[in-house]
Amino acid sequence: MTIITRRGLLQTGAALGAMGALGRFPALAQDMTPHEKQLYEAAKKEGEVTWYSGQLSAEPGEAVGKAFGERYPGLKVNVIRSTSQVAFQRLSQDLRARTVQCDIFSSTDSGHYGFLKKEGLLTKYRPKNADGMIEAARKGDPDDMFQICYFGLYLMGFNTQKVSEADAPKSWTDLLDPKWKDQIAVGHPGYSGAIGIWALMMKKMYGADYLKKLERNKPQIGRSSMDPVTLMNGGERAIGVAIPSATTLLSISRGNPLKLIYPTDGTVATPAPTAIIANAPHPNAAKLFMEFATGPEYSRVITKLYNESLRPEVPPPVGGRPLNEIKLIMPTMEEAEKGVPEMREVWRDIFGV
Amino acid sequence: MTDSAAMGAPGRPLSLSGRLRNVEPATLVWVALAAILLVLVAYPMGKLLVSSFETRGTGAFTIDNYLTAYGRARYLEALGNSLLLGVLAAGISMVLAVPMAWAVSRTDMPGKSIVWITVLGAFILPPFLGAIGWILLAGPNAGFVNQAWRWATGLQTPLVNVYSFPGLALVIALHSFPLIFIFVKSALDLVSSEMEDAANILGAGTWTATRKITLPLVWPSILGGTIVVFLETIALFGTPAIIGIPARINVVTTQLWQFFEYPVRVEVASAYAMPLLLITVAMILAQRLLLNRKGFVSQTGKGGERRPTRLGPWRWVVFGWCAAVGMLAVAMPMIVLIQASFAKGWGRGFRLDNLTFRNYEYLLFRHEMAIQSIWNTLIFSSIAATFAVALALLVAYIAARRLVPFAGALGFLAMAPFVIPGIVMAIGFYAAYASPPLALYGTAAIIVLAFTARFLPIAYANSTAAIRAVHPEMEEAARILGSGRMRTVAKITAPLIRKSLLGGWLLVFIVSARELSSAVFLVGPKTLTMAVLIYDLSEAGNFEVVAAMGGLMLVITLVLVGVGMKLAGRDFMLRRE
Repeated sequence: MTIITRRGLLQTGAALGAMGALGRFPALAQDMTPHEKQLYEAAKKEGEVTWYSGQLSAEPGEAVGKAFGERYPGLKVNVIRSTSQVAFQRLSQDLRARTVQCDIFSSTDSGHYGFLKKEGLLTKYRPKNADGMIEAARKGDPDDMFQICYFGLYLMGFNTQKVSEADAPKSWTDLLDPKWKDQIAVGHPGYSGAIGIWALMMKKMYGADYLKKLERNKPQIGRSSMDPVTLMNGGERAIGVAIPSATTLLSISRGNPLKLIYPTDGTVATPAPTAIIANAPHPNAAKLFMEFATGPEYSRVITKLYNESLRPEVPPPVGGRPLNEIKLIMPTMEEAEKGVPEMREVWRDIFGV
Repeated sequence: MTDSAAMGAPGRPLSLSGRLRNVEPATLVWVALAAILLVLVAYPMGKLLVSSFETRGTGAFTIDNYLTAYGRARYLEALGNSLLLGVLAAGISMVLAVPMAWAVSRTDMPGKSIVWITVLGAFILPPFLGAIGWILLAGPNAGFVNQAWRWATGLQTPLVNVYSFPGLALVIALHSFPLIFIFVKSALDLVSSEMEDAANILGAGTWTATRKITLPLVWPSILGGTIVVFLETIALFGTPAIIGIPARINVVTTQLWQFFEYPVRVEVASAYAMPLLLITVAMILAQRLLLNRKGFVSQTGKGGERRPTRLGPWRWVVFGWCAAVGMLAVAMPMIVLIQASFAKGWGRGFRLDNLTFRNYEYLLFRHEMAIQSIWNTLIFSSIAATFAVALALLVAYIAARRLVPFAGALGFLAMAPFVIPGIVMAIGFYAAYASPPLALYGTAAIIVLAFTARFLPIAYANSTAAIRAVHPEMEEAARILGSGRMRTVAKITAPLIRKSLLGGWLLVFIVSARELSSAVFLVGPKTLTMAVLIYDLSEAGNFEVVAAMGGLMLVITLVLVGVGMKLAGRDFMLRRE
C-alpha cells in the first residue's frame, strides 16, 4: 500500500514538475514539426528503439527513455546502459554474429565512430534539430554519419570528511604526490571510454610515465568512470580521478560529502557522438530518437540530472561551472581512434588488470 | 522385449510402413534424443575446438590463435592465478566444511539446524551477490568489519581487505563450501560407530579415532567435493570480475572476457579456453581413478549401529565453528546487502536518515529493463528447467532400462556438460549458433538452449536416482496387462517419481535463474536476465541499486525454495545424488 501511495505521489510530483518546467504536457501532436510527425507515424509501426549507451549514467539514461516514451506515446526505448567499451563489445558481438540488435549507439570513446564509419556500419542521417544546438555540438561528422549528443566533463573530486579543501589536489600532477597513496580511485579504460580518453590525455600532456607514477600511489581500479563516486560516498577512498561531473553533482545533491575539483591543467571534455547503426531494425524510430536527442527536451531532461546542456535555450546544470570559465582539454577523433586501444594495453601492462 | 515383435508375421515381406511399425518406439526416441544432445552438447563443443584452429574471417587452418592466446606473460599469469585461486578456494572450503559435516553427522553438537540453514543460505545467495556483500563488509577503509575494528582498537590498518588474493579466495570458499559439506556428510552418515569403537577399545581417544579412522574412511568424498569446488572456482566469472579488478588479479575467465572486446576474437577465446576444459576433464578422470581404488572404502551400507560421539564441553567449540561459518557465509553478507538496498549511501551505516526506498522504487518504476529482466529470467529458467528435466528423464529411463544398445552413450552426453565451464560453453554456443544461418544471437532460444545444456547433468543425476528407485516390476505389471511402453511410463513411472522430478525441476530453475557466466555472452537487449543486469549495474559501482536488484532476486528465489520444500520435501536442494 505504501508503495502504491508513494508511486502515486511520485507520479504527481513528476507531472507537476514537467508542467512547471515546460508549461505544457508533452506529446501533443500539434507541437510536432511536419518532419517529426512523419517520422513518428512511421516509427509507431516499429514500436520501439534499442539504445546502447555508455554516455549518460543509469538514472538520466532511464529518464531520457521515459521522456521519449511520453513525448511519443506507443514508442518504447530499450535502454541498455553499460560502460562504453562494454557497449562497443556488445555491438561488436552483434555485428560479428551478423544480427543487428542495436539501433542507436552512444559511446564516450569517439574513436569507435571513426572505425564504424570506415567499415560502413553507420546510417547517414542529419537531424533537423542539430542546427539549433550549441556550437561545439553542431559540427559532428562532416558526412552526417554521427552527431554529438553528449558533452561529458571528467575531473577530480574528494570526500570532504576525509580531505580538506586546502589539502585537496589541484591538478592531475598533484595526484602523483606520495601523500595520496591508497587514497585514489579511478575507472578502467577497458570498460569506460572516458577513462581511455583521460589516460590518453595524460600521456599526451605528461608522457608515458604518468600512469607508472600514478601506480606508485596504488589507486583502486574499478570499471566505470562513475565507480569512484560510490567509493568516495562510502568513504572507501578519498579522491576520485577522472570522474564525470554529472554523476558527482547528482551525488552531492543527495547529500553526499563530495566536492568537485576543476584541475588547473585542464578538465577532460568528451564531445561524444551518437549514431544510427547500419541496417538498424527500427530505422524510423532511430531517426526520431536522433531528433529527440538533438532537440531541447532531451537537454532539459539531462540537465535536471546535472549533465551538460547541448542547446543554447536550455540553461546549464545547477552547481557546475559554466563551460566558458573552465580550461577544457580533449584529443582529436583520430588520436582517440588510434590512441585509446593502445592505452588499454599500456594500462593493463602497468596496473596488471 | 519389443512391442511389435508379434506383429510382423514371419515369412511375409514387409512393406515400408510395416517395417516402420516394427521399429521399437524407444529406438525412435533414442534417435531423437541423440540428435537433441548433439545440438545441445556435442556440436557447440566441437565448434569451439574447430574455431580455435580457424583464422578470423576466412576460416583457414592456423595455430596463430594459440600463439596469441599464450604469447603474452599477462595471459599466462591469468592462467596461473586461476589455478592458484582454485587450489586456495578449494582448500579453504575443505577446512570450513569438513568439521561441519563431521559435527552434524557424528556428534551431539547442539543447534544442527543452524548448519542446515547456513548451507541452504550459502547455496541460495548467488556468488556475485555474496561478493558485493563482502565488499561492503571488508572494504579496507569503509567496510563495516574494518570500521568496527578501528573503533574497537584505535588502529588505522584494516583488519581484513577483500581486495586481495586471500580475500577473493575466502569469498569464493564461503560460497562453495556447501558442496563439500553435502558430499562429506552423506558419506559420514554411512560409517558405522563400530569402527570408532574398535579404535577406542585399542586406546585411541575421540580425536585420534576421528583423525585416524573416521576421516580417512570418507576421504574419497572429501576429495571429490574439493575437486568440484576447484573446478567451480576456475570457471567462475562474476566474483573475480567484481573483486579481482580492484584487487589487480586477472584470471582466465576475466581474460576470456577481454578477448570479446573489439575486435571480437572468438577464435583466440576458444584457444584460450582449452586449458580450462582439459584441466576439468583431467581432474574428473583423476577423481574417477582415485575413487575406483576401492581398497579403503569400507562403508558397507547401513548395517552397523550409529551413535553420536559425545563431545562434552567441546560441543560448544564445534558449534561456535559452525555458527562462525554461518555468520561469515550467510548472515553478515545478507544483512549488509539488505542494509545497502535501503540505504542512500551504504558506508553511512544503519541510521534512520540513511533509509530510503528510492533504490527499489527506481528499479520497479523507473527502470524498464529491471522488470523485463525479471520476466525474462523466470520464463527462460522455467523453459530450460522443463526441457532439461524432460530430456534427462527420457535419457535416464532408456539408460536405466537398457532399452536400446548404446543407451550409455546418451547418458555420457547428458553428463558431459558437467565438465564444461559455463563461460566456455557460452563461447561454444556463440561460435556455433550466434551467426546466420541460425542467427540465434540475441534471441531467447540461444539462452534457453545454453541453460538447458549447462544444467542437464543436474537434471540427469536427479532423474537417474529417481528411476533407480522404481523397480521395473511395477512397469512390467502394466505391460503384461497390455499397456504400451509410452503409456506405462506416463501412467506408472512418471507419477511414482513426480516428487523427485519436481525437485530436480526447481533445482535447475534456481541455478538457471542466477546463472551469470554463460548468460553474459549470449544475452541481447531484449533477453537481458537478472544476473546480467546485476552485473551491468555493478559496473558503475552503484552498490545500493545493485543490492536492491539482488534483494528482488533473493525474494524470488526464496519463494521458489519455499514452494520446493512444500512440494518436493524439505531437503530437495541438498540431497546427494
